[in-house]
Amino acid sequence: MIILDCDDLFDTWRQQARWLLSHQIDPDQVSWSVKEDADLFASDDHYPPHNGPFQARVPLELLELLQNAAQYCGDQRWSLLYEVLWRVSHGDRTAMLAGDKLGSEVHRRLKQVSREAHHLHAFLRFIALPPCNVGKDLEVKAALLETQKLPEYVAWHEPAHDILHSASQHFVGRMGKHRWMIATPKDGVFYDGERLIHKRQCPAAWQSLARNADDPHGELWLTYYSHIFNPARLNPKVMQGHLPTRFWKNLPEGPLIPALISEARTGKQRDGQARQIAERRGKVIRSGH
Amino acid sequence: MQLIDKLSILADAAKYDASCASSAAPKRSSEGKSGIGSTNGMGICHSYTPDGRCVSLLKILLTNFCLYDCQYCINRRSSDVPRARFTPEEVVTLTLDFYRRNCVSGLFLSSGIIRSADYTMEQLVRVAKLLREEHEFRGYIHLKTIPEADPALIEEAGRYADRLSVNIELPTQLGLQTLAPEKEMGSIKQAMQTIYTGQQTVLNEPKAPRFTPAGQSTQMIVGADETDDSTLLHTAESLYGDFRLKRVYYSAFSPIPNSPKSVPLAAPPLLREHRLYQADFLLRSYGYNAKELLDGPGHLALDIDPKLAWALEHRDVFPLDLNRAEPGMIARIPGIGIRTTKRLVELRRQRRIRYEDLTRLRCVLAKARPFIITSDYHPRQADTSSIALREQLRDRPQPQQMALWA
Repeated sequence: MIILDCDDLFDTWRQQARWLLSHQIDPDQVSWSVKEDADLFASDDHYPPHNGPFQARVPLELLELLQNAAQYCGDQRWSLLYEVLWRVSHGDRTAMLAGDKLGSEVHRRLKQVSREAHHLHAFLRFIALPPCNVGKDLEVKAALLETQKLPEYVAWHEPAHDILHSASQHFVGRMGKHRWMIATPKDGVFYDGERLIHKRQCPAAWQSLARNADDPHGELWLTYYSHIFNPARLNPKVMQGHLPTRFWKNLPEGPLIPALISEARTGKQRDGQARQIAERRGKVIRSGH
Repeated sequence: MQLIDKLSILADAAKYDASCASSAAPKRSSEGKSGIGSTNGMGICHSYTPDGRCVSLLKILLTNFCLYDCQYCINRRSSDVPRARFTPEEVVTLTLDFYRRNCVSGLFLSSGIIRSADYTMEQLVRVAKLLREEHEFRGYIHLKTIPEADPALIEEAGRYADRLSVNIELPTQLGLQTLAPEKEMGSIKQAMQTIYTGQQTVLNEPKAPRFTPAGQSTQMIVGADETDDSTLLHTAESLYGDFRLKRVYYSAFSPIPNSPKSVPLAAPPLLREHRLYQADFLLRSYGYNAKELLDGPGHLALDIDPKLAWALEHRDVFPLDLNRAEPGMIARIPGIGIRTTKRLVELRRQRRIRYEDLTRLRCVLAKARPFIITSDYHPRQADTSSIALREQLRDRPQPQQMALWA
């Protein structure tokens, strides 16, 4: 058994896979693991460090497919990809198709990955920081950020897969020249107005800046959210399908959801109007204006 | 009145419009530019409310003061609701604030009719113009079009907005006369025609300024009057044909407080609305026509979906051999969608299709089984009558908590 560690980097995995393939090493003989675990398995196979004689040719679209599927975090993250690569390089292209047993797992992962990228685009919330020349405190934080400038907007997000680096490109187009930062429990990105900087290990200062940002003007959005909801159409199951509960805790509107549901159940379901509006005085417009 | 108070009233007043799409816009980016906002054709749903609907755009009315007295509308002049009015600048402020927070992908602005149709339309256009020109906003803008407004104003709106919509609301002249006496089918279609003409003018002119690049849409209310599904679907079909509409939305009539006697005070017909959306999808993407789905007056079945209904009516076509059938016909098999059809066709270029492939492709096998043949499967139910099959396949409603309407 050969145990490899690619440090969860696609390019490293790719080098390793190319080497394995060149020596015609069967997927059964390889596994990827993190370093600490690697010592548990003794490897008795010895292959030369340089590439072997077998020259694999694979279509370019496979590489793209593998690179995307590699963002998936879960069991067999890297060994599954090698199995696909093995089969395609040996002439069996069905391994890339959703109708194949292995291919269907690859496509499931691809779907999870693109869904998670979409979740980032959808459910991330930026909070504006106060203008940066106001306090010493912020200057200190700016130093910790290892950049000359402080971000104007910060966000905390918890993606389930390694999508942050590629998917956060979306916000470069969206936010124009504004500076923004996204911190996660794992990695982080900072856009300084010109470049997107990715840190594989999100600096603690970034994390604390994102997690502790004050939002004095958050009420407007919460008001909007409560009032665009139509209690007569209450359907929490469909909502949860689209907005998984794991995201609720980081969404400002998350804490409102249970109360809106229960209020609709206990009476407000009769019509579409929010209670707060029904309680206010109305105004009929007389004809003749 | 405080901005937050206005927002609560004018969001509450806007929730009855079903459309919230931010899709189909051209690629725009603010990278390295002043201003803010991007679009890429894909819509983004930034949140979901407990009714299961997505929040994609800031959907508000400029004002809910209204001269019209449409019976189904909470904002009709005779309705006893709190009223408010935003200034165009306030709408701009809210849009940009929510946009920077990444709460929305743009604005969907509609309005009650104040002073005149032209005046109201001018105000809507002013908001879009401020966003685009003063603030270099490149996000999504959807403007409601006031049908009676001057065509020149509609054309101006089309140059700023990604999408324009004219709501038909009730698809028959009689329905409009009864429930929306100030509205007229002629002017609604005239406005749709103005938008369509605007789109045609810039077609194949890459250098011309864009005109409603995300197309136009409309909405029909379901269940406010007696109109049947057949009328709704045939109307949708002719709107798709005549004005190349991008979408027709169906909005189950939600009961309104202080409901006038002319409209029902009953729970919104959500399942009926769902079936209409399914049928509409078959019109837009599967190549069915309305006549195939509903030949003659009546409603769509509620207990089975319209695709299954069609298949049960056309048993002579089935079972279909997945290894040979035309892709267009495979997509007509219940439980197999367009995406799966594409994947089956890809797979059968490599090898024969087997029954277990369908499990992996996540077909709804319970529905598909009686209608398919694979290299290792032939349906036992091929000779079962359609009536018996329907009994097996129909959706059984989940037992529900006692409704407020019981």
